Amino acid sequence: MTHLQSLAASIRVIQNSYKMQMAENVTRNTFQFTLALQPVLFTLLSVGIYRFAGKPDLSLYGIIGSGLIGMWNANLWTSGFIVQGERWSGTLELLLATPSSLMVVLFGKSLSNASASLGAIFITFLTGALVFRVPLAIEDPLGFFVGLILTLLALTTLGLVLGTLFVLTRAAGNMTQVLNYPIFILSGLTFPITTLPLWTRPLSWALAPSWGSQALGQAAGLSDEALMPAFLWLIVLALIYFLIGLVAYRRIERIARAKGGLQEF
Amino acid sequence: MPAILVENLTRIYETTTGVIRRKKKEITALDEIDLTVEAGELFGLLGPNGAGKTTLTKILATILLPTSGTVRVLGMDAVAQEKELRHRLGILFGGERGLYWRLTGRQNIQYFADLYRVPPAEVKSRVPELLELVGLSDRADERVEGYSRGMKQRLHVARCLIHDPDVLLLDEPTLGLDPVAAREIRGIIRGLNDQGKTVFLTSHYMFEIDALCERVAVLNKGKILMVDTPSALKDLVADLEVVEIECLGAPANVLEDLRQHPRLQDMRVETREHKQILHLQAPAGSELVQEFLQILKEVRVEKVITRQPTLEDAYVRLVGEEALHI
Repeated sequence: MTHLQSLAASIRVIQNSYKMQMAENVTRNTFQFTLALQPVLFTLLSVGIYRFAGKPDLSLYGIIGSGLIGMWNANLWTSGFIVQGERWSGTLELLLATPSSLMVVLFGKSLSNASASLGAIFITFLTGALVFRVPLAIEDPLGFFVGLILTLLALTTLGLVLGTLFVLTRAAGNMTQVLNYPIFILSGLTFPITTLPLWTRPLSWALAPSWGSQALGQAAGLSDEALMPAFLWLIVLALIYFLIGLVAYRRIERIARAKGGLQEF
Repeated sequence: MPAILVENLTRIYETTTGVIRRKKKEITALDEIDLTVEAGELFGLLGPNGAGKTTLTKILATILLPTSGTVRVLGMDAVAQEKELRHRLGILFGGERGLYWRLTGRQNIQYFADLYRVPPAEVKSRVPELLELVGLSDRADERVEGYSRGMKQRLHVARCLIHDPDVLLLDEPTLGLDPVAAREIRGIIRGLNDQGKTVFLTSHYMFEIDALCERVAVLNKGKILMVDTPSALKDLVADLEVVEIECLGAPANVLEDLRQHPRLQDMRVETREHKQILHLQAPAGSELVQEFLQILKEVRVEKVITRQPTLEDAYVRLVGEEALHI
C-alpha cells in the first residue's frame, strides 16, 4: 500500500468512524439530553442569575458560556464514553486488533461529537432569544463563525487526548464527571476568569474553552479586543493537544498490549 | 513455513491487592509453551477455565504482549510486526459482545471493512457475499440489538472474514449457541478450512474439537499437556470403557463409596437439571456394571449405558478434576 493509498484509507476510517459515532449518538438518550436539554437549562440558570443580579448586559456572555458548556459537555461526555462504550460493547480489543490506528478511529469519533455539539450553541442562542428576548445580534458574524470552527477543532483534539488516556482506565465515566465542573470554572464559562485567583490563570490559558469563550464573546461584541490572539491560541492549543494525543497514544497502545484487560469494565 | 509458531512462550499477569498497602501478585497464564500449527490446518485448543486459552489467542491476535518467548504467525513476529500481521488475521471472540448493537449488521461489517482497509470496490461485493454466507442477507439492515445470539455469532463470523484473512483465530465461536446455530457455525468453519484457511479454534465442546480438528492441544494451568490428533488423544483411554448411569438424588456418601471402588479408574458426576449422570471409567471388559448398581441400590437409577470412551473421557483423564470447569 502506497503512502497515498494509506492516507486515503485513514481518511475513510475517519469518515466512517464519524458516521458510526453519529449513528450511535442519535439513538442515545444521554447524548440527546446533553446536547439538547442541558444547554437550555444552563442558559435559563446562567442568564437568569445575571438578570436577577441586575446585570442584564452579561446576558450574551451567559448565553455563549452556556453554549460552550453544552459543547464541552457533549464533547467530554461522549469522548469519555467513546472508549468506555467500546469497552462495554467488547469492541475496544477488536479495534486494537485491526491494522488501523485506534487514534485515527478516536479522531473520527471525537470530530463527530464535536460537530454535533455545535447544536448546543444554536440551542442556547435560541433559548436566550425566546425566553429572555436577548437579540441575536452578532457584531462580527464571520469572526464568530471562524471562532466556532477553531473552538470545535481545539475541543476535538482535546477530546482525542482524553479519549486516548481513557483507554487505560476503566473509570473513564467517573473521570468525565470529575473533570466537568473544574473545567467550566477554569475556562470562565460560568463567570469571568478575572474573578478567579491569579494563580489559576495558567490553567485557564491551557484550556481551549477559555479561548473559545473569549473569541466568541469578542466576535459577538462583548469586548473591543482583537480576535486574532484568541484565534492563534486556539490553533496553538489544538496543535499541542494533537501532539500530546499522538505521543500518548503511542505509549498507551503499547501499555494496553502489555497489560491486557481492554475487555474489562 | 508453519502458519503459527510459538516457542517458549510465557505470559505473566501482574495484579495488585489491597488499597493502602498494595501488594503485587503475579499470575502465570502461559508457562513456556511450544506450539506449531501448519498452514491450512484446523487446530483445536482445549483446556479448563483459566488454562490460558484466551491469553494465547490474544497473543496470537497481537493485542497482548508475551512476557517472554517467540510468537510468529505467517512468518511475522506477533510483537514487532503487528501492523502487517493484522491484515492477515481474522479474530473472533465468542459471546454476544464485540458488535455495535445500535447499528445494523451491514453497518457493522462495512465499518470493519474500512478498519481493515479493504478497498471500497471490494467492500461492495464482499459484504453481500459474506451476509449470504452466514445467512443474514434478509436481516442485514436491522439493528443488531434485535438479533438472536446465533445471528450475532454469525455476524461475528462475517465480520472476521471481511478482509479475507489467511489465519482465523476463533475463541469459543459456538459459546452459548443452541445446537442448530452451533452446527451452522461449525459448517461455516469447516467450509473456510476447506478453502485453505488456517483455523486456530478454542472450544467449549469436546465433540466439536473431535469433529472439526485435525490436531488438538490440551492446555492446563498454562502448560501444554499434549498435542496430537483427537484419535491419539482418545487412545489414552483405549483400555477403558465408560459406564454412564443416570440417577436421581444419589447422596454424597454413596458417590464416595463408588469412587472407592478398587477397579474404578475415574469418576465424573454431571448434573443435568434434576438428574445426576455418573461417568464411570473402568478397565475395558471388566463388566463392573452390576457391582456399581449394587452400591447404588438405594438410589433410583433411570438408565445405564456402557460405551466406548470419547475425547471428553480422554481429556478428563489428562487434566483431572479441573476438566469439569471448561
